[in-house]
Amino acid sequence: MLEFPSAIAGSSRQDRRERGALRLASLLAATVGALAILGQQAEPATKPVAPLGAPDSALTIGAVIALTGNANLYGQDQRQGLDLARRWADALPLAAGDPPRRPLRLQLEDGGSDEATAIAAFNLLIKQGVLALIGPTLSQQAFAADPIAQRRGVPVVAPANTARGIPQIGHFISRVSAQSSVIAPLSIAEALRRDPQVKRVAVIYAQDDAYSTAETLIFQKTLKARGLAPVTVQRTQLADNDFQIPITAALQLQPELVVISVQAVAGGNLIRQLRELGYRGQIVVGNGLNTPNIFPICQRWCDGILIAQAYSPELNTPINRTFLQLFRDSNPGQSPPQITAQAWSAYQVLFEAVQRLQRRGGFDGLTLGQARAALMDELLAGRYDTPLGPIHFQKDGELVQGSFYVAEVRMDPGGRTGRFALVSTDTATAPPGASPPAR
Amino acid sequence: MIEALLQTLLNGAATGGVYALVALGYTLVFSVLGVINFALGALFSLGGYLTYLLMGGAISANGALPGWGLPLALPFPLALLLAAALTGLASLVVESVAFAPLRRRNAEPLLYLITSLGAGLALVNLLQMLMGAEGYAFPAGALAGLPAAVVVGGARIRSVQVLLLAVCAAAVLALTLWLEHSRSGRALRAVAEDATTARLLGINSDAMLRLAFLVSGGLAGLGGGLIGVSISLPGPYVGIGYGLKGLAVLVLGGLGSVPGAIAGGLLMGLAEALVPAEASGWRDALAFAILFAVLLLRPNGLLGRRLVEKV
Repeated sequence: MLEFPSAIAGSSRQDRRERGALRLASLLAATVGALAILGQQAEPATKPVAPLGAPDSALTIGAVIALTGNANLYGQDQRQGLDLARRWADALPLAAGDPPRRPLRLQLEDGGSDEATAIAAFNLLIKQGVLALIGPTLSQQAFAADPIAQRRGVPVVAPANTARGIPQIGHFISRVSAQSSVIAPLSIAEALRRDPQVKRVAVIYAQDDAYSTAETLIFQKTLKARGLAPVTVQRTQLADNDFQIPITAALQLQPELVVISVQAVAGGNLIRQLRELGYRGQIVVGNGLNTPNIFPICQRWCDGILIAQAYSPELNTPINRTFLQLFRDSNPGQSPPQITAQAWSAYQVLFEAVQRLQRRGGFDGLTLGQARAALMDELLAGRYDTPLGPIHFQKDGELVQGSFYVAEVRMDPGGRTGRFALVSTDTATAPPGASPPAR
Repeated sequence: MIEALLQTLLNGAATGGVYALVALGYTLVFSVLGVINFALGALFSLGGYLTYLLMGGAISANGALPGWGLPLALPFPLALLLAAALTGLASLVVESVAFAPLRRRNAEPLLYLITSLGAGLALVNLLQMLMGAEGYAFPAGALAGLPAAVVVGGARIRSVQVLLLAVCAAAVLALTLWLEHSRSGRALRAVAEDATTARLLGINSDAMLRLAFLVSGGLAGLGGGLIGVSISLPGPYVGIGYGLKGLAVLVLGGLGSVPGAIAGGLLMGLAEALVPAEASGWRDALAFAILFAVLLLRPNGLLGRRLVEKV
């Protein structure tokens, strides 16, 4: 008797718990369902592009660049290039009779210096409905983030990725940065032209970085083709900044030429420590050091290093003169680095492709997804006169560029600033099948 | 051959000296509180930036106040010492924010790890906000009067490495003398041995705890300034890597052991230096493999005491 009410009470509590759990589960299921529906509706690719003249007809170009982390030195240069290109494009006058332009908005997002941050930035911008993306800064990041844009059908223009295989990630991936295999051999050739007697070469590269490993293979292949086998290959890591140990090991073999493929901050430190430890021979560095931001780090020890470049401030074309003028207005007495010119070019090719498409009424009635696909076709079909010189794309998004250069770093007497002085120009031959389809 | 070996050993000793400094920082706090202060790596970074600013360095374009600098330009030795002292004070702030509230509540040791990690991350992000993420190089004349490199027994070594080794050795010696022979050092050791008994003997254990944080932060700041002048400051996260290495050294030497931290630091530095050139990229992996092997043979570290749980 005494247990009965208790059993009833227990049963009642059990029922209440079950009903509560059921209610909670239903609420959760309804929330998940609602989110799924809302998420579907929020998918920007399915939305129509606003017609020109509508209140918000501007299309957004997203830029994922390294504003933090080890690669931020490149990010600063890229941000400046993008800002200048946007200002240039916004100020371009319309010729009489020209139809109005499609306004573009540039949205910067920090891609950090690692893969995870770049992926997050790509996802965010794609979700926000960008028409196309510029970035990310590092090849290592591109291999991780570009497949996301490829899957979502968002055109990507890489401003500085030089590792082999980036445009080959997919149809929507292209680049305005020549791959290492094209430019890296030029600086080796210049070093050997200066001293044909070089026999002992030391190679140093960051083994956990896609760009560095890709570039060092090109350097080593070039050396081999010249009959030079490296006396030592020292491997470092991206996060390293103390290079005394690998340098000591290399110098014990008395190299006459040191060839370096690492990123900018590490490279500045490496050169400084190499010189401090008594190395006086020639130094050839890779594209990672193609920024004047290394000057404050390696200071007077940067003087004399050789580097191949895809840009020369001395290129005398109207667009490069405009670029130089705008750059020098913001940076009196300085010359723009390659990476700034490449970032400008990335924005410029997208801007021009969008306007060509607009002139043909290409966005009318298109969803954002369709507009992205049309833009990619237009981008690949075009020819562009950029600060890098005339460029166009192969069918797979690979860059075709006419001229490359070799520069030598010349530091000012104070040792805090310097410049890349042009040493030689190489006019490349376009690879077979490089011409875009006629349009 | 002898020169090459000597050069390698000097390289390893200089690197190991910095690891030992950080490990000693961990050791001091661990001895008195029994927990690891994960904010030490961030304090290492802070020490580097403070040294840079005290030497007259300016904040770069991506910082909160571009172009701003302190209205003074101290010589490097003075800037280094002052920066270490200021970092010690910052360490006291970390103690009051991340440790003291938990200590008052007798919290689980695991919680200290989380709060100190949080304090460290907050500090690093604050540095990034104030200074920007770019690299900072100390002025070329920071070590004016010193040659770029010196020859020791036929081996060529950067002067800054010699300086680094000398300062680390001096700091370790001073710390050891202080712990062994000064009244406050002995009081600190008493608290580390048994806080309750020490309190009964009239030692203010809270004050000793704060002293441990002060000195620990100072050592980290010293390490940051030395690394800054040696390899520049590649970004606010520079101290995190050294913090992790210091942690490994702490375990290798034996938790809470001052001689262990010194021996562990030197061993770790030498192990890295002795990695063959062909495997230089795997230096960290090999160094940690040695750590693993030592711990298999001596689970309490090289000079750690076996922990006996009294029941």
